[in-house]
Amino acid sequence: MVRKISLTVNGYRKTVEVKDNELLIDVLRDKLKIKGVKAACWRGECGLCTVLLNGEPVKSCLVLAVEVDGSEIVTVEGLSRDGELTPIQKAFIEHGALQCGFCTPAFVLASHQLLLENPNPTEEEIKEKLSGILCRCGTYYEIIEAIKSASKFYQKK
Amino acid sequence: MEKLTFKYIGKPIPPYDGFYKVTGTAEYTFDIELPGMLYAKLVTSTVPHARIKKIDFSKALQIPGVVKVVTGKDFPYRVGMYAGDRDLLAIDKVRWVGHPVAAVIAESLEAAEKAIDLVDVEYEELPAVFDPLEALKPDAPLIHEKMEEYRHSPAFNPIPGTNIANKFTLVRGDVEKGFREADVIIEEQFYIPHVSHCYMEVQNVVAHYHLDGTVEIWTSWQNVAPIRQIMALSLGIPHNKIIVRIPYVGGGFGGKAGLGWEALVTILSKEAGYRPVKLVLSRKEQFTVAAVREGFYGFAKAGFRKDGKFIAYDVKFILDAGAYADYTVNVGRAVGYSADGCYEIPNIRVESLTVYTNKIPTTALRGFGYPESHWVLEQIMDRAAKKIGIDPVEIRRINLVKPGISETCTGERLREDAGNPEKVLQTLLEEIEWNTPPEKLREPWKIRSKGLALFVKGPAQPPNAAASAILKFNEDASVDLLIATGNFGQGTITALIQIVAEEFGLPLEKVRVDYIKDTHKSAYTWQTVGSRGLFTDGIAILKAIEDAKRQIFRVASEVLRCPEDHLELVDGEVRVKGKPWMKIPLQDIVMGYTYPNGNSIGGPVIGRGVFMSTHTTYLDPETGQGNPTIFHTFGGAAVEVEIDLLTGEIKVLKVVQALDLGKVINPLLVKQQMNGGSLMGLSIGLYEQIKFDERGWVVNPNFTNYYLIRIKDIPKEVVRKTIETPQSDGPYGARGIGELTMIGIAPAIANAVYRATGVKINQLPMNPENLWKALKEQRPDLFDEALKKFIESKKLAEVRA
Amino acid sequence: MSFGSPYFTLPDFTYHKPKTLREALELLEKYGDEAKILAGGVGLIAFMKERLVSPSHVIDIKGIPELKKLEYRKGEGLVIGATVTFSELESYQVIREKYRALYQAVKLASDSIIRNRATLVGNICEAIPWVDGPPPLIAYGAEVEIKSLDKVRRVPVAEFIKGPVEIDLEPGEIVTSIHIPDVPSGARSGFVKFNVGSEFALVNLAAYLSLNEEKKDVRLVYGAISPKPVRALEAEKILSSEGDMRTLIISAAVKASEELEVISDVLASEDFRRHLIKILTMNLLTELVEGG
Repeated sequence: MVRKISLTVNGYRKTVEVKDNELLIDVLRDKLKIKGVKAACWRGECGLCTVLLNGEPVKSCLVLAVEVDGSEIVTVEGLSRDGELTPIQKAFIEHGALQCGFCTPAFVLASHQLLLENPNPTEEEIKEKLSGILCRCGTYYEIIEAIKSASKFYQKK
Repeated sequence: MEKLTFKYIGKPIPPYDGFYKVTGTAEYTFDIELPGMLYAKLVTSTVPHARIKKIDFSKALQIPGVVKVVTGKDFPYRVGMYAGDRDLLAIDKVRWVGHPVAAVIAESLEAAEKAIDLVDVEYEELPAVFDPLEALKPDAPLIHEKMEEYRHSPAFNPIPGTNIANKFTLVRGDVEKGFREADVIIEEQFYIPHVSHCYMEVQNVVAHYHLDGTVEIWTSWQNVAPIRQIMALSLGIPHNKIIVRIPYVGGGFGGKAGLGWEALVTILSKEAGYRPVKLVLSRKEQFTVAAVREGFYGFAKAGFRKDGKFIAYDVKFILDAGAYADYTVNVGRAVGYSADGCYEIPNIRVESLTVYTNKIPTTALRGFGYPESHWVLEQIMDRAAKKIGIDPVEIRRINLVKPGISETCTGERLREDAGNPEKVLQTLLEEIEWNTPPEKLREPWKIRSKGLALFVKGPAQPPNAAASAILKFNEDASVDLLIATGNFGQGTITALIQIVAEEFGLPLEKVRVDYIKDTHKSAYTWQTVGSRGLFTDGIAILKAIEDAKRQIFRVASEVLRCPEDHLELVDGEVRVKGKPWMKIPLQDIVMGYTYPNGNSIGGPVIGRGVFMSTHTTYLDPETGQGNPTIFHTFGGAAVEVEIDLLTGEIKVLKVVQALDLGKVINPLLVKQQMNGGSLMGLSIGLYEQIKFDERGWVVNPNFTNYYLIRIKDIPKEVVRKTIETPQSDGPYGARGIGELTMIGIAPAIANAVYRATGVKINQLPMNPENLWKALKEQRPDLFDEALKKFIESKKLAEVRA
Repeated sequence: MSFGSPYFTLPDFTYHKPKTLREALELLEKYGDEAKILAGGVGLIAFMKERLVSPSHVIDIKGIPELKKLEYRKGEGLVIGATVTFSELESYQVIREKYRALYQAVKLASDSIIRNRATLVGNICEAIPWVDGPPPLIAYGAEVEIKSLDKVRRVPVAEFIKGPVEIDLEPGEIVTSIHIPDVPSGARSGFVKFNVGSEFALVNLAAYLSLNEEKKDVRLVYGAISPKPVRALEAEKILSSEGDMRTLIISAAVKASEELEVISDVLASEDFRRHLIKILTMNLLTELVEGG
């Protein structure tokens, strides 16, 4: 069945026609052309398709598009809307918390959300929140450094 | 290069493309869609070895949206880079479970996926062979009947009529004599299972075959040039009609070098009526259809004198190459000529066989034969040390090569400035605090230990693997650097930009490298593999800079009326040395200089430069003697581990990496490589293994059962140390690093376990079950004692009534 | 059972999002075994992608308010509705305080992003042998409440899970909630999992000890070692016998490692699992005994 769903993506209201069996990741990437959402396993293991669904990180390869009718989605594209990178994005660059970059959108998004909820996380808390995302290049140390260094900007808020 | 202080070289410049990666705007092949694009899906074999009797796809064609089904009959090409053995769609015969037998092309992915289920393939099964040792037996099923017809590179030695895709031999000295003189002989067998590269971006390709015969390719691959070369040779399309474009790439690790799917998708595009076609592999297909790292056996016999001198080494490597060995023949060669690692071994004999089996095809993976040869050798060193009764460090010191004096096992005299392995070893010892005994734990069934391994590696490439660079100036004296250097996470491009900015005195942002590598627009480089990019492409760029400077100085010398050798380039200006007020800004020269009256001289400045190795050779087919590589990077890894004797779990607490890089161009990028390589080394060392069932099916084609290291698993600390012994012909003295950081990890862990327990772990991964088994077999006393200590410390002693 | 899929897309189905339980049950009644329930989706969608199931109708129950119930009543125990996620359980104070085994299992299950979506009811309905939800529930003697249009029934979780991907659920029925009895004060529970180098447990274990009264009540439930979670009844008997618990742990652990049927699979061999059963049992029981 084809139906219309409405959702807010990165602050913009969107109405989009979807089939019942379409996945959120595919609607975001193929229909809404939001290509910052990546994927590497399509079964919930790699976490590269992580998006914020009503403020909560979820893996969009395991969500049907019809399920998010009326919801708010944020992807990495939604982070720097006021013309400036968020502190966590800047920190990722400065600390070299990226290599091939394919997992970077997911890590940036999940780290940003983590800092909003917990501006001064311990190393254990960082690991706990990010263990669902894989980075084969092995930039985990740099990601932790970036989060720690960006944390001061989130505390001020 | 005589400069002593640098503005950019040696500075921790962040990755130049970071902005695009953190904003999700970096474009990968995965993100590319073309108007009218179709989707392809592979139908793969369900049997390991069989003749194809019939393929019936009539039902598939009835699915709405299906455009065409293509089989091996439509793709009668044998393709490849080194071994040239591959049919991308099975021709007549399938050779592994996962071998593509047909491709469905459809208007949507959904239609293509529905259709693959409806393709019926009838097989006549043939006897299959899954173990390379079995495949070597005379009565083994023959996997490639017509090996003699395959087009292979002259560096290799396939043996038609057998399952041997390449036989490499190396002989130096008299190994039998060596063993007669030896006081201590070590004999061991080692094993490494298949592992997958697990780059995050799966292999995916878009191809558009145009009616005029031009082919456009977008692909997630490391290199543009070999794709064009392979396609031109196999499909017969002229080189200049093939345009290969590579945008951002989500990881490669060697698994996106050599042969990909481009030739196949090109033909699919043609068959579909010259419409663009995209093929994306799923993760399962990455584990079952795409090539992975080979399985490996090492049979080693090593002879030492009682003073610790390594005098004889007889080693046989057998590589389980799977159904196709295109790149693995070169892995077999590299593991062969790197058998001696960092040590001087006067008598050595190596045989390395790359063997076909009915399993998934294989290819290069970060390190390329060197992790395999070092897994064997570095453990042999510790075993010998123990048997002789000296420290593992001492035995290494005794046998370590001496640059300028020593020759490697291929007979290459190590250049004097090749590096400082002695200092590498010393650095490791200091950082791991080798002589400080590890802490005793409150949980006495756990023990801590330290181990180390040394390594050396150079790029495994053909002797004539060239590189080139073009740089052109824009009106504002900004520079476009046209290079084909692969950009798949290593960071090399950032270092290359630093070089250009440094040499012209320009701000970094004035140097631009396009994110798309393009056979038409980028200067040729053979490949970005084997840790060679910075070295080969860096040299080509320095030559291009020199060339451009010559043009600039020629004009400036006329304008300033001053000899060229009195001029210098500082902060984007040409100045007369010692008279900084006599100067011209670069932008007044780079498009040609115009005098006030309108007369003009010079013209747009374009620099070109090449790298060509002049001293490397093919290796002698009988003896393996020659110069295989353009540099050797020496390094070492040390680890401190905690071993749980009850569960077999090994926790790595600390890693030390020390490498002689000649010159560190960018310490931030070096840090990434050292951290990242350590983690990949740990992951492969402790967890990873592709498992097959008795019919050759991969039983763990996912990230749940094939475990990759996650952020929660990382050691507390990676200590990174660099040593700088400049190599005179390297860019600023630099050597490559990318693969090196992975090689030492697994043997260092195994050595730490051996040192503390005497338990030999000869096979990867060192997961709890494997260590538990080894402990039970080799040291049941240790295991029982640990259990006793556990019971004691928990006060569980059984009270009997 | 090996996972992994060549497919990116899902088979066709019709999606329904009922607003009431009655509406959901009517849909279930109408479509019978053509229908599957969707809650968190981490199991169902992955299964559909692998073509292990291909329902024609998918009924999303996240819009049904009563299934969001998460409630503890003294003396009665804990009710966990079918759409309650692992993350919600993790932050529910009562679970952290009173139901330690469940809390630990929830914290160790998969990863925090998956837990934002995955539900405990979904976890037991998937009935994958290696997951972490079932052992603690069985240890507490939890029951599932199952409703259809014409009846309500309760089944112990231990019986509800019949084997790999096999549960006691008829067409037309839905699991609405899990009911965990209240734990007497002084009772202790805990959960351990061995999964070094694996997303799934090679062995997991939930233990429940109630030592207060005259009669000892001990339950040991092992997951991942066999097609469905199992109790080590003989080992429990040893632990329930007279004497200082500490002196009984070893023989119980040894018994547990011997008495159960244990499989070899892609994660571990039977031998290694038996060994782990022994070590984990000793570890967890010691911890529980020391903890009190």
